[in-house]
Amino acid sequence: MSGAALLSARELRVERRSRRGSFTLQIDALDLRAGEVLAILGPNGAGKSTLLRALAGLEHPARGAIDSAAAGPITLVFQRPAAFAGSVAHNVAAALLGRGLERAQLERRVREALERFEIASLAPRRAHTLSGGELRRLALARAFVLAPAVLLLDEPFDDLDASGQASLSLDLRRAIGDTGVAVAMVTHDLRRALLLADRIAVLLEGRLAQIDRRDSVLEKPRTPEIARVVGMSNLVRGVVVAAPDGGRRVEVDAHHAIPVRTALETGCGVWAGIRPEHLKIDVGRGGSGIAIGKAVVRSVVDDGVAASVALAWAGEELHTHLLAGRGLARSLEPGALVVLAVQPEHVHLIPVAEAPRAAG
Amino acid sequence: MATLETALIVEITLRTLAICGAALLVSLALGLPLGIALGRRHFGGRVALVSLVNSGMGAPPVVVGLVVALLLWRHGPLGVLHLMYTPVAMVVAQIVIALPLVVGITLAAVGALDEDWELQVRTLGLPPRWRRGLLLCEIRLGLLAAVIAAMGGILSEVGAALMVGANLEGETRVLTTAIVMYVGMGEYEMAIGLAAVLMGLMLVLTGVLTAVQQSGRR
Amino acid sequence: MRLRCIDMVATAAVSLLLASSGCGEGSGKLLLATTTSVRDSGLLDTLVPVFQERTGIEVQVIAVGSGAALRMGSEGNADVLLTHAPEGEQALVTSGAALSRKPFMENYFVIAGPAADPAGVGAAASAAQAYQRIAAAGAAYVSRGDDSGTHRREQALLREAGLDAEGGWPGFARTGAGMGITLQVAGERGAYVLSDLGTFLAFQQHTGLAALSKPTPDLRNVYSVLRIDSARFASGINAEGAQRFEDFLLAPDTQQRIAEYGVERFGRPLFRPLLLRE
Repeated sequence: MSGAALLSARELRVERRSRRGSFTLQIDALDLRAGEVLAILGPNGAGKSTLLRALAGLEHPARGAIDSAAAGPITLVFQRPAAFAGSVAHNVAAALLGRGLERAQLERRVREALERFEIASLAPRRAHTLSGGELRRLALARAFVLAPAVLLLDEPFDDLDASGQASLSLDLRRAIGDTGVAVAMVTHDLRRALLLADRIAVLLEGRLAQIDRRDSVLEKPRTPEIARVVGMSNLVRGVVVAAPDGGRRVEVDAHHAIPVRTALETGCGVWAGIRPEHLKIDVGRGGSGIAIGKAVVRSVVDDGVAASVALAWAGEELHTHLLAGRGLARSLEPGALVVLAVQPEHVHLIPVAEAPRAAG
Repeated sequence: MATLETALIVEITLRTLAICGAALLVSLALGLPLGIALGRRHFGGRVALVSLVNSGMGAPPVVVGLVVALLLWRHGPLGVLHLMYTPVAMVVAQIVIALPLVVGITLAAVGALDEDWELQVRTLGLPPRWRRGLLLCEIRLGLLAAVIAAMGGILSEVGAALMVGANLEGETRVLTTAIVMYVGMGEYEMAIGLAAVLMGLMLVLTGVLTAVQQSGRR
Repeated sequence: MRLRCIDMVATAAVSLLLASSGCGEGSGKLLLATTTSVRDSGLLDTLVPVFQERTGIEVQVIAVGSGAALRMGSEGNADVLLTHAPEGEQALVTSGAALSRKPFMENYFVIAGPAADPAGVGAAASAAQAYQRIAAAGAAYVSRGDDSGTHRREQALLREAGLDAEGGWPGFARTGAGMGITLQVAGERGAYVLSDLGTFLAFQQHTGLAALSKPTPDLRNVYSVLRIDSARFASGINAEGAQRFEDFLLAPDTQQRIAEYGVERFGRPLFRPLLLRE
């Protein structure tokens, strides 16, 4: 699915000095490919916005270069899009001002862009009267009307509720597929990133900690910090030991061990990471994986979509998700004793003190 | 002498429109770009310049008139120009009065824009002339407020106009100075007639500008 | 065509102003209407405090054009007038609005102009002749044009010279503003101008103009005090205060003060008292 690299950053170094101190962004290599969405994740202050702005050409790098093989413009859509005085149609048309387009042509492109994001009916409305979600669509229509080669999005799903996010991501996905634009998206929210991401880049303290296909990053984060960023919230320290059945286990303490599939040597200190969706509560029906012992339920938080369960296990707090409203989510109470299980192939091991490396 | 001389009123009114109109146009031509520039950029002496503008807005017009008079009269630095007691001197004084108003209100309007508004427009890749057009459109309400304020200040100015113009018949007599003169002469008919014209002028012009301003909000 | 209602509105406005500043009834306040040139001469600043201290009557000085002052008198909007327009004053007495007209001091108007005197005003035998010369030369001239005492004298002189009372030659400008501004314009333009002595002296350094005319009879400027008839007007006229003010102006010691006024400031007196026994 990945196409040609339309934007490449090499040996990029951006220095920023603010009241709070200085900050350096250092990227060795980053490509944005046609028709593909790269989600840039990271904690606050990691440099995500700086990176996006640098890719947009708004920063003065101290070193390095950003090369664009793109045939069209590089467009940045801001977190809080500006609504110009005038109608929605005018706002979109504004992007095409002064380019010598014929009126009929301009109107056609505006109409197309509006229809792409299903706001054609809002065309005559004053842009200032739009709701947050409508404004986001307007900003995207305005970006797409330029027929960009590269699209940079800063928190595109901000201010949207779940259904708004879902419908926007569908329209955006379709637009990306239609136009073959290369997309980079910055967000601090993992779930929003996952709505669109083909690849994920994790930024930590100004450096690219990991960049890979989405599933690779989600399932195989290189460091515990990356693991936390990508939602692998269950991380326990242990030691690789031999299992009685010939395989390997990670021994967490005298009474708790997790079965794993690994080539690591025994005695190796590791972080064992399990994504919440892979950690199962064994209800005796099988298929959950290998049991790893009992846990006490600490809390059940049901938001109507999913129930997030916190469990005490081996002195650690683990998390798992249940479908809301279904049997277990309804009956589980804090204090209950349950059996946890996981498939060995879902346990990701990070050797302790491995230096994080970026992969293209 | 105790009659309403329509021809005279018309002559004075036309002259008022010419002098005040010229002052207004120059103030806007100079003040709008200056206000926009000051509103957008942040540079070293900006705070000092903005306080200068604010002081200018609050400066008593008669003081302005005095300063201009001191500059233009025979023994003043610009005396060689022989501009004292001419319509040009009045236009100059009125520009000095109105310019800070235009700059101050415009820069406030620009400053009210979102911080990255400018940036967002820039990233759309618009050519500079169109960026400016978009900016003007965006601060339209503030701009019109500046025009209305400047116009009001210029049309109603009497002290400075008298000081640098001397209310010379057929040369520098405008509505405000004429009204003062007729009251001093006890000719209330003319004074009230001229005052009615002045008020009417203000109301019509302000009304038109306000209608334009508010139409942008619909 | 006099519009009566506007007349009444104007009267009402002025009366309101005057009424709000205190009733004229009784000896408390005295409303003195005079001309701007008298006020600008500063004479009243010297005399009025003396009068106030002596009589306890507070004097409110309203300085307007001569015509306006006479009008205030004719409409009963002042208690006493101090003007220098004999014809208009006479009319006021004839109509009965003023009880009396008492001339008490005089000076001479001066025709001032550029020191070079291109029109040769300095050589003229009379003011009327001076104007003929100015008109003949088409020289720059600035008039007050505000119906003040000075302006009326100027008009009279022009008529006497056989010229149009409104000037008419190129270079003739009208300010419609006070004497000071008119003098300044004349100074700026190097023009001729008719001025009262006091204001001319006050501005002389500033304007650079020279006094060119001689004190001929047609430039004589007589100042009179007029008491307004309280019986005629419904709004209370302070007749007693007016009488005391008139007595004051005519009194020997005041006349002496008048004789000395101006020496300190201008090096010469501004006025000549009419009632001082030598």
